[in-house]
Amino acid sequence: MDMTEQLEPISALRATNEQPQEQSMNDALNSEQSTSQEKFNTVGKPLLNGAKAKFKMRDVDVFYGEKQAVFGVDLDIGKNEVIAMIGPSGCGKSTFLRCLNRMNDTIEICKVKGSIELDGMDIYNSKLDVVPLRARVGMVFQKPNPFPKTIYENVAYGPKIHGLVRRRSEMDEIVETSLRRAGLWNEVKDRLHQPGTGLSGGQQQRLCIARTIAVSPEVILMDEPCSALDPIATAKIEELIAELSQNFTIAIVTHSMQQAARVSSRTAYFHMGKLIEVNPTKKVFTNPEHSLTEAYITGRFG
Amino acid sequence: MNKSSPDTSTSNGLSHSDLAAAMERNLKRRYRSERRFKAFGIASIGVGLLALLVLFTEIIGTGMGAFRQTYVTLEVTYDTEVLGIEAVTPESLALANFDGIVRRALLNQLPEVTGRTAKRQLYALISYAAGYQLRAMLEQDPSLLGETRKVTMLADDDLDTYVKSVRADDPFIGRLSEPQVEWINQLEAQGLVELKFNTNFFTSGDSSEPEQAGILGAVMGSLFTLIVTLALSFPIGVAAAIYLEEYASRNRFTDFIEVNINNLAAVPSVIFGLLGLAIFLNFFHFPRSVPLVGGLVLTLMTLPTIIISSRAAIKSVPPSIREAALGMGASKMQMILQHVLPLAMPGMLTGAIIGMAQALGETAPLLMIGMVAFIADVPGGITDPATVLPVQIFLWADSPERAFVERTSAAIMVLLAFLITMNTMAIWLRKRLERRW
Amino acid sequence: MDKLQLDQHISQQFNADLENLRTELLEMGGMVEKQLIDAVLAIETADAKLAEKVLENEKGVNDLEVSIDAECTEILARRQPAASDLRLVLIVSKAVRDLERMGDEAAKIARMALELSQEPAPVHGFIELRHLAENVQKMMNDALNVFARFDVNGAIKVMREDKKIDREYKSAMREMITLMMEDPRSISRVLNVIWALRSLERIGDHARNIAEHVIYLVHGRDVRHVSIKQIEKHIEKQIDTNSL
Repeated sequence: MDMTEQLEPISALRATNEQPQEQSMNDALNSEQSTSQEKFNTVGKPLLNGAKAKFKMRDVDVFYGEKQAVFGVDLDIGKNEVIAMIGPSGCGKSTFLRCLNRMNDTIEICKVKGSIELDGMDIYNSKLDVVPLRARVGMVFQKPNPFPKTIYENVAYGPKIHGLVRRRSEMDEIVETSLRRAGLWNEVKDRLHQPGTGLSGGQQQRLCIARTIAVSPEVILMDEPCSALDPIATAKIEELIAELSQNFTIAIVTHSMQQAARVSSRTAYFHMGKLIEVNPTKKVFTNPEHSLTEAYITGRFG
Repeated sequence: MNKSSPDTSTSNGLSHSDLAAAMERNLKRRYRSERRFKAFGIASIGVGLLALLVLFTEIIGTGMGAFRQTYVTLEVTYDTEVLGIEAVTPESLALANFDGIVRRALLNQLPEVTGRTAKRQLYALISYAAGYQLRAMLEQDPSLLGETRKVTMLADDDLDTYVKSVRADDPFIGRLSEPQVEWINQLEAQGLVELKFNTNFFTSGDSSEPEQAGILGAVMGSLFTLIVTLALSFPIGVAAAIYLEEYASRNRFTDFIEVNINNLAAVPSVIFGLLGLAIFLNFFHFPRSVPLVGGLVLTLMTLPTIIISSRAAIKSVPPSIREAALGMGASKMQMILQHVLPLAMPGMLTGAIIGMAQALGETAPLLMIGMVAFIADVPGGITDPATVLPVQIFLWADSPERAFVERTSAAIMVLLAFLITMNTMAIWLRKRLERRW
Repeated sequence: MDKLQLDQHISQQFNADLENLRTELLEMGGMVEKQLIDAVLAIETADAKLAEKVLENEKGVNDLEVSIDAECTEILARRQPAASDLRLVLIVSKAVRDLERMGDEAAKIARMALELSQEPAPVHGFIELRHLAENVQKMMNDALNVFARFDVNGAIKVMREDKKIDREYKSAMREMITLMMEDPRSISRVLNVIWALRSLERIGDHARNIAEHVIYLVHGRDVRHVSIKQIEKHIEKQIDTNSL
């Protein structure tokens, strides 16, 4: 369906006598890659005061071979905030998230342009080693993916490969605190040496979170962490996210708008590779600024 | 949906009863064709099973005989005169005429035999091996010199065949002459002929005399060849598979390699034999008929199989595990060694064992590098001349003696037993390793 | 043209639900409007029957309030609406309450009409009453139209009208006080008229609320307790930022 035709009337909701301007914005969205030159302006407040920003992304483009997946994104992620990224499938939000710990490196044809700084350090610097970066910026994936090892080994894996501990007792401590913080300790303390894959889906995902926080990252990226879980398990993860946000910066990609509304303090809306709107979650879900955001969160396309 | 008259008619105007009748007819037809389809499948399986049954009965029927061997018990006197020695020393043993005391024993048992031709025919009833047996006994116990003992000796293959056929109520005389048959019957009547388990078959190498021929040489040859093959093809195959799956970028060059690997898997094995002949024998001047070269050739042959199955195994490792490892900050090598390989191992092992089983049954390439030679000694290492089980089968199948026919079948049974064992091992390994996750 | 694009959801049922909500609210609005007209007419013509009919119909208005509110709850539970949909459901729920109050006030006027119809003598103050009633009726009609069209400019107009009505109510009150001082015997009757005036003024307030809801619906900004000037300024600003 043609986007312009579908969206134009929605803009009428906003005000009655501003059709030409809205029209031109939709044109800009729909036109091809030329827009990467004439930069697209995100509405809302994508940038924070310099001091508060943990991640600073400026003019980030991502290409898959010839195809551009993300167009000139400017965004700050603040310290200890939970930012949710929403948008229709294929809008580039996951791709963008995976840039933040260079998980896109594994895809050969994927090229990232622009600057992404973590505490002022350019993470796409050619001299930078991704191993310590990924220890600082952990990731939780869509499908719970514990290693086919014991629960203990799963959590101990990160500290082990990064050489964080010397003695067995230290490791025991890290495993316990990580599992406690992930709210899993009471459920698994008696079967630490049983396979992690024997846990339920929600427990597996919490195990993955425990595994991630075992290396004390500063930022946790979550790529649709609850999409494979039932509502109860989802609620537990969401509760966990709220707790973790006191100590960690969390960026979460989700398909569930209600989830974004529940867990995040800021919400970023992506559409066709462009960052359309970034605003406090409260504002996005009651009164979004951009008509595309509005159309998406009210279920008018998606 | 038509709400106005939901009971009588459907949206396309047909009444429900019409539809039901049509469906009923259609349903019956569908069930019939379904049954027919199923019957075809069952019939095909039946044909396959029948063929297998015929094969097995035939092979087992002919081959079982080889596991029993006829022995003749005679009173043997270690007569110093006949032996031509005074005392037991290594030198004297080498010179002693053990065949002479065997012959004397035969003549003692059947005194009525006279004349050169008749005597020669009589002597032919006992295997040459009897002389070696007596020598070994004397060597072990020198006090036997001058004594008389009842000794059970290996019978000749013609006697063996005859006795077995008589016992099976289907007398087969073959090359035996009439007096020979008569003597055998006499020995039999005196209770001197007996059938015993043929240990010789499993403990000795090939021989031109069927009663002495065994498969240990071929088994050891196969074993050494397979060890060489496994030691080379598994690491090389796995390493190649890992590179192709995890490191190689997808471009024309890797596509080309992939196509070639797939083609190699389909190349007739005799070509690999020619390649081995050209490279290993003619160029590198490796010795002929040795398991080392056989293993090298079979490595070439099994590599594509192992690479393909290993790649499939690596591919089947869920990407989520890779992502998890990388996301935790593991390096690529850590990811492969700690996560991908353990998960892919069952599949890789299965592929390797199937490749090995294939190599075990291979004849053609080995003929090319001279492993078809007649080798009576059991090989002791990978550089000793040897033959392998399928080649041994091929050789025996070619021999005219009736006793070799049953040995051929028996060797096939041994080969099949090996193959079944290996396949069972593959299944067991897969089950066992998979259960850990 | 439907400015809220209620028919643009992927879920057809959601479209229907929201559209239904809006239609029912307008239907209820029409009902309350009729009640008001009848009640005022009953006072003017001292028609006890009509007044009784208004009191009877009050029940229908209440039932509609309950059923529309239940629908709002259902939509909230089933659809978890967001943004403009959420605002629509919220303001329908609130507007329903306003309409029900308006209905209550109309019923109060009808009750006054019943009492006044018992009086033999003509009642003073009817002119003021009729004048205010006309204005309030118009304002209420405007408010419902504003809701039907989600018309922000119209909504601001309605809010301005409310000021006018307040002024008229005050002057009518002064008039009534004068009447009572002139003729103390008429106090009880005039008091009834005062109650009716008071109800009319309340109806005007509720109509203003509905207009405010429409502004919240369209602009996402709560304009209760905000001066009209500020609202206009805000709307100007929003149009400016959106046209960037």
